[in-house]
Amino acid sequence: MEEVRRKLPLHCPACESPLRVARLFCKSCGTEVSGSFELPLITRLSDKEQAFIIDFVKSSGSLKDMAKDRGISYPTVRNLLDDLIDRIKLLEKGDAL
Amino acid sequence: MKKNWLGFLLNPFERIAGGTALAWGTLGLLLSTLLAWQTDYHYHGLLHFGPAPNPALWCFAAEHVIVWLIPALLFYLGGLALSRSRIRPIDILGTTLFAQIPLLFTNLMAFLPFYKQMSALDPATSLEEQLAQVTAMVAQPGFWFSVWLAFVSIAFVVWMGYWMFKALQVSCNLKEVKLGVLFCVGLFGGDIICRFIIGLLY
Repeated sequence: MEEVRRKLPLHCPACESPLRVARLFCKSCGTEVSGSFELPLITRLSDKEQAFIIDFVKSSGSLKDMAKDRGISYPTVRNLLDDLIDRIKLLEKGDAL
Repeated sequence: MKKNWLGFLLNPFERIAGGTALAWGTLGLLLSTLLAWQTDYHYHGLLHFGPAPNPALWCFAAEHVIVWLIPALLFYLGGLALSRSRIRPIDILGTTLFAQIPLLFTNLMAFLPFYKQMSALDPATSLEEQLAQVTAMVAQPGFWFSVWLAFVSIAFVVWMGYWMFKALQVSCNLKEVKLGVLFCVGLFGGDIICRFIIGLLY
């Protein structure tokens, strides 16, 4: 049976608080590690934001190339990047508290 | 496809800005200037239009350029003060000029025969004479249709205002209160400044 690719949940469905990792396991030997681990910052971004970061790296950080590839204007790409920077700063601030 | 076009009409600046918007906007400005010159339809400000005593082509061109540059300058200065993004003058100039393309349609209103008759009304004549002229105008066939078309032209001014709002939003990356305040300053404050400067041309 084909494995269903499930989306990583980031927030608690009951209270909306950010989720943490409690259990990890090795697929090949079955070893399990349990504890309370924080998700890496990038995984806490939305799918769209993660896709933006991947596109940004692929285009060597050229916003002009990104705008061309996505068929949108340069200021729109720059605005998306600025909003993403704000979001990352907010997440980092949350981590620091 | 339909959705793409609707998206473009609602916010063209997600797709075009900078040099491309400036090029299309310049084409619109040239066409608008020629139309306005042909019909003697002056831009007194960003939101005020009508007859004026200077029929020279340069005057129409100057009005169009002033109506473009003043709000663009206000948007740029406001953007520098309020935006955290690195804004580019070419984006503001291009998107502001492109946003004024819908005004081309308001220029067409001046081709309506009743517009010329209204413009020809001499305020120096007696009130009775003016009333008699207006009554004769109302009695003409197609007058009310022309009035309805004039109201439609207001929709294009509103559309221009909406595109100016989107131009500011995209080119300066502003949101909420900052966006609303700077837009009002650019549109209404810009209109007042434009009216003052354009008044010097007559």
